[in-house]
Amino acid sequence: MSLFLPYFILVPLLGYLLSSFANRRAEGFISWTAMLTAGLNLFGIMALGALWVSGGFQDYHYNGPVIYSSEDTVFAIDIFFDGTTAVFAFVASLLTLLDTIFSRYYIHREMGFKRYFNSIQLFYLGILLILFSGNLEALFVGWEIIGITSFFLIAFYRHRYLPVKNALKVVSFYRVADIFLLLGIWICHHYFHKSIHFNELQLAWEQGTPLITAQPYTLLIPLIFLGVALVKSAQWPFSSWLPRAMEGPTSSSAIFYGSLSVHIGVFLLLRTYPLWGDNWTFKALVIASGVLTSLFATFTARVQSSVKTQIAYSSIAQIGVMFVEVALGWHKLALLHFASNAFLRTYQLLVSPSVLSYLIHDQFFNFIPPQHNFADNLWGKIRMSVYVMSIKEWRMDTGMYQWFWKPLKWVGNKVAALGFRGAMYLFVPLYLVGLYFVYHKGAVPMRAIGVLPEAMSIAALSLVLMAFVERGDARRAWTLIVMNQLFVSLAVGFNEQFDFGQIHLFLSGIVASAVVGYAVLNYLQKQGEAIDLGKFHGHSYEHPKLVIVFLLASLSLAGFPITPTFIGEDLLLSHIHENQIVLTVTTALGFIVGGLAIFRIYGRIFLGPHEKGYHEVAYRSS
Amino acid sequence: MGNMSSTFNKHKVLHDLAHHLPSQTPLKDFIHHNTLHAFQHLPFYEAIIQAGRIFGYNVTFNVHEYRSLHKVGRIRDEVLDMVIRKRKGEAALATWRENCLVKQYTPTYDPRIGKLRANWKRHYHLDLDNLIQPLLFRIVGSYLDQGIAIWQFPFEERGLLNAVREVERNSFASFFRTKRVRQMLFDEKLTLEKMLDRLVGDPRLYGQYLFDQQFGHKGWSGMMAAIEANPHSILYQKKVQLYDFIHLELLMEIDNLDAELGTDWLPLAKKVDGLEPLDLFAPVPGTELQEVKKIWQDAFEWSYYDEVLSGLRQARLAQKSSKAVPDRRSFQAILCLDEREGSLRRHLESLDSDCETLGCPGFFGVEFFFHPWGGKFYEKLCPITVTPKYLIKEKEAGVKHADELLYTKDSHKFFRGVLASLSLGLWSAIKLLLQLAKPEKNQAAKDAFAHMSMDAELVIEHEGQQENGLQVGFTIVEMADRVEGLLRGIGMVQDFAPLVYVVAHGSSSANNPHHGAYDCGACSGRPGSVNARVFAFMANHIEVRKLLKDRGLEIPFDTIFIGALHDTSAEEMAFYDDKNLYPDTAVLHEKNKAVFENALDLNAKERSRRFASIDVHQDIHKVREAIRQRSVSYFEPRPELGHSTNALCFVGHRNLTKRLFLDRRAFMNSYDYRTDPDGQRLLGVLRPIPPVCGGINLEYYFSRVDNQKLGAGAKLPHNVMGLVGVANSSDGDLRTGLPKQMVEAHDPMRLLVMVEHEPAVVLRTIQAEPTLYEWFANGWVHLVAIHPTNHSFHYFENGQFAPYEPLNVQVPTSDDIHGLIENAPEMKSNYIVHATKENLPVHIIKNPN
Repeated sequence: MSLFLPYFILVPLLGYLLSSFANRRAEGFISWTAMLTAGLNLFGIMALGALWVSGGFQDYHYNGPVIYSSEDTVFAIDIFFDGTTAVFAFVASLLTLLDTIFSRYYIHREMGFKRYFNSIQLFYLGILLILFSGNLEALFVGWEIIGITSFFLIAFYRHRYLPVKNALKVVSFYRVADIFLLLGIWICHHYFHKSIHFNELQLAWEQGTPLITAQPYTLLIPLIFLGVALVKSAQWPFSSWLPRAMEGPTSSSAIFYGSLSVHIGVFLLLRTYPLWGDNWTFKALVIASGVLTSLFATFTARVQSSVKTQIAYSSIAQIGVMFVEVALGWHKLALLHFASNAFLRTYQLLVSPSVLSYLIHDQFFNFIPPQHNFADNLWGKIRMSVYVMSIKEWRMDTGMYQWFWKPLKWVGNKVAALGFRGAMYLFVPLYLVGLYFVYHKGAVPMRAIGVLPEAMSIAALSLVLMAFVERGDARRAWTLIVMNQLFVSLAVGFNEQFDFGQIHLFLSGIVASAVVGYAVLNYLQKQGEAIDLGKFHGHSYEHPKLVIVFLLASLSLAGFPITPTFIGEDLLLSHIHENQIVLTVTTALGFIVGGLAIFRIYGRIFLGPHEKGYHEVAYRSS
Repeated sequence: MGNMSSTFNKHKVLHDLAHHLPSQTPLKDFIHHNTLHAFQHLPFYEAIIQAGRIFGYNVTFNVHEYRSLHKVGRIRDEVLDMVIRKRKGEAALATWRENCLVKQYTPTYDPRIGKLRANWKRHYHLDLDNLIQPLLFRIVGSYLDQGIAIWQFPFEERGLLNAVREVERNSFASFFRTKRVRQMLFDEKLTLEKMLDRLVGDPRLYGQYLFDQQFGHKGWSGMMAAIEANPHSILYQKKVQLYDFIHLELLMEIDNLDAELGTDWLPLAKKVDGLEPLDLFAPVPGTELQEVKKIWQDAFEWSYYDEVLSGLRQARLAQKSSKAVPDRRSFQAILCLDEREGSLRRHLESLDSDCETLGCPGFFGVEFFFHPWGGKFYEKLCPITVTPKYLIKEKEAGVKHADELLYTKDSHKFFRGVLASLSLGLWSAIKLLLQLAKPEKNQAAKDAFAHMSMDAELVIEHEGQQENGLQVGFTIVEMADRVEGLLRGIGMVQDFAPLVYVVAHGSSSANNPHHGAYDCGACSGRPGSVNARVFAFMANHIEVRKLLKDRGLEIPFDTIFIGALHDTSAEEMAFYDDKNLYPDTAVLHEKNKAVFENALDLNAKERSRRFASIDVHQDIHKVREAIRQRSVSYFEPRPELGHSTNALCFVGHRNLTKRLFLDRRAFMNSYDYRTDPDGQRLLGVLRPIPPVCGGINLEYYFSRVDNQKLGAGAKLPHNVMGLVGVANSSDGDLRTGLPKQMVEAHDPMRLLVMVEHEPAVVLRTIQAEPTLYEWFANGWVHLVAIHPTNHSFHYFENGQFAPYEPLNVQVPTSDDIHGLIENAPEMKSNYIVHATKENLPVHIIKNPN
């Protein structure tokens, strides 16, 4: 039966490809492809589920194609099916099917009809990759696909300001989660000296073998995964991205943020449970986090005057409860809770525009003015403070900026004082020297070689921070990012286990995408278009084809899975030792900021309001 | 606002702001109006060009779009020449043709608004809007919220500012980032001027600064101003003042500047050298591009108008002998003048050649508040400009509304949320599945027929009762006045049929916050069912008839008026009070009902040609069912197309238009010059036309040409805010105007009002009231008088009527309107040429009966 597993990935992959090559006005073909994809898979999952039940709940496992292997790393797309997969995949397929039927009518005649369905198809592929993944690497691929489709769908109305701004905001959260996941993979590699396979984890758990025994890994490894789950499931203190992600058509918000995407944190916890199922310290932490989130989110939901935000926070509160359920080991309950919550919130979001006529009608006949029995005492003041804080979403939205991005920007601005030329004069020679030494390591004093990786990595981080705060010519920022990538490979090159093949794999992706991206920007500039990063330009309005080219270059440069850069990124990371804290932190930060800086360039140049005098221009506040 | 003087006049600026901000009230009622009403004192082109320059609005198609329309023949060549000749003279024809057709222009986007406040970003690298707007909108949204939040904003009776003060006084947490500004909040003596002094520092700039600031989020500001002007537009009463909102925003600006820059930042006028005030409302210098666009727009409009006038003439000439009027009409139907009812009237007439249809504003001249049984509020059922003194009450109706667990707010609470999310989930999946498979009526959808219980009794006759300053019901005299007024206005003074149907309209739709915009504009955006019933009751009243007979208006004893409601989206109809008819009448009524049924079928089919999801060729009953399903489908953003494509308004006898196929584009108000030779009733007939029909037309015009700033954008991402409006995002501004799905097929052209009477009489009539005259004089609607005896056309321009001779292009004749509909092109996308291609040209109907 295991041989049948790739079907679940191949069907959506085929669907996505078919849909990509369709005429953009062929609404019937595009929507039928999407419906068939989800429908076929739903059928398959139900069939497999039935077999799985009749087969005595025996999990299925399929060893997928090996994408890269060396003596110490194997990167394979393995497929795994168990009860958790069954429930999640069933809900995902059913909801996708219902949602595509809904959207067939709902999105009709929208200029981005094809774009919408393509994104849904890609999303569906991504989520199935996650749900069926047999190892962390495969999961990561799906994870990134979901991240990027999220960006597409949030910024679906790409010529308005807020969708683009919020898409970037959500991606900034996601990017943190992605890199944490990468770190999770990295640390597991170091600890287990091989890729983690979920079926092996499951087996070990059933046999009662403790998986992690050494300090501080017992706590560190699960903590990293918890961090990832918190961000992806919009738990405290990362909740504020969820309501802001609801910028696309209601039907996409319903399926993404109402149900599927946002529950992935729960899935990750279920999958990694064998790593921490016997660790009560950590379990207490998960429970505390769940309870805390439920509390904050419930209060926030209570004061919301916008209907989608209210649903978002209600959903977050329930996911908090699911975290608790998972930690307590009540996994069947958690699965039921997930399925039920996903259906309910999808439904509520889909019909959310009805709230106006429903509640006004209700109010017309049943209105009683709310009683504010405010008590002028300590309790009253506490209540009022909770009200104010809930309106402010417990400062979660501003907090992330204030405590994470603003300091980074501050550093970036300090570095940027060098000026672009200054940076070139400084970093290019530095790089060349570094390059020489990396091939002639013998010429470097032993003492220096210990700090060189860190030094190079800090240089890389500086470059990327500079790119991040660049407000002028986009080509400069682009160049800085490319240089950052070069420095990253150099930094890793100085670590003793040195494999030219891997670095070259990484660089092959970088160089190609660097050249293409630069050429696109250059072309735009030659056409007389503005390419500064001080504001959004919305060039996709006049250059719809160019966007796709630049997007591909950007994704490749940012290390999107399946481009050589990504595999390289994963491999480079694996050469960092777990005790090289500075190197780990700077490299991870560099990946986070670098990805975001690339998205920022893409957003500023191609998305946002297109302000030329021959068509309408959206308000900035919309 | 005019000139910005050196001193700052707070009251004037606040007044000007409120005047220019969108006046759309909370969405539960939707009143169409001229989106640029603040500029209505100016001639149309001057006004839109100025508004465009000030606020960055797109006010016409762009040159490329006009050229595309010209290329596909929707703008006719000879009309283009005619317009150029008229505007520029014969000599310049070639030059301007060249300009219009080929010359390249590079338009710029450079609105005057926002330039002053942009200095914060330019000189301090601070994006104040990003820092302030999310929280500000959240506070004001929570304050105005009518019932989405479970925990409501406290102290709402004190006004926004005082409520925030009270909250801050009693809370450890604060909306403000700095202590200093929090203290400023409590300072009751703090004036607008003081805050502006801190922020701007030059009184000459204050007015401009406030305009910049408030137009940065004109949705919320407009909502504050609109509720302040109409406090009863919200049910949950709160004290609402635009001033409070501005005060709060200025405080938050200072607060954020303090928090980001410390306390010693300089006001804009000190920080930026040579900052001079910009007069937002200064005249806009003319450009060649503007002239080209004016020519194109005129040519676009006249390409259609000329076709209509030619059609009118040719239809009259083709009418060799008018068909003999039957001894007695089989029935008469008075419908709303709404252009959507035009096709239903055509179908009724084609099915029963002995019937007669008439049109008038859909509140049927009876103005009142309505109190549904069990309701806690009143609903206004007449044009928005009228303030009724009467109340109609519903007696003893059944249950209005059953709760639906999935919609209650319980699932957002914690414990009930756990229960709900564990238990309701599967139920919602099943519900969704069912609704996708077979959409049916449900509690959350808006049902036009539910506005009034079908079988409830109404208190219509006054019996001495007063309620909240309103008179319950009408006296006999008041009833007679209204019946007489309406019947004489539409020229219905003799030859009454045994049955007269008074057909109101409403629209059902699901998942549609803009549902009010589909209902009857003459009933304040509600279904007109109560009005139809009330009017029928009055006209049937024996005492009323006696009185009318004394006044020379005799309604035969056996004539019965029956109220009805036509659902323009579900294409269904209900008749009221038709249970106790005389047996003979009942037989006739049954026969007529069958005619209405068939007419609804045909109407459904005619409408279905614009819906891609319906195959217009299939069995007509299937088409009708598919049309009905649209009105209850959650996934259908276009339950109907509303007033899309409206362009004309006829005031005259139906004979004028009976032989024309106008593709549901004409408002039709019945009026008979023969019964009103001096035009005494004409003023009453014309008065509501510009604000109601012109308002609808201009709202569609502006929402179409600038769907982003003047319309609401695509409705797909809309998020309902506080039950008062919709926004795009959780942090977005309220969106006013109409969503794209309502206007995509609309041809943005002004309304052409055609009145069948002598030009002199029409001129005298419109001059009687300055507010009415302004609409025509400034060209916000076009006016043509059709001479009743010599049938010549007279176009109103520059204060007088001048003869207009149609270019006399042959209008196609068709004896198969259904074939025409079935074979009409379908729009491929909402790109201009595709979108308007399916608007069919005028046809002469060969055999109307």
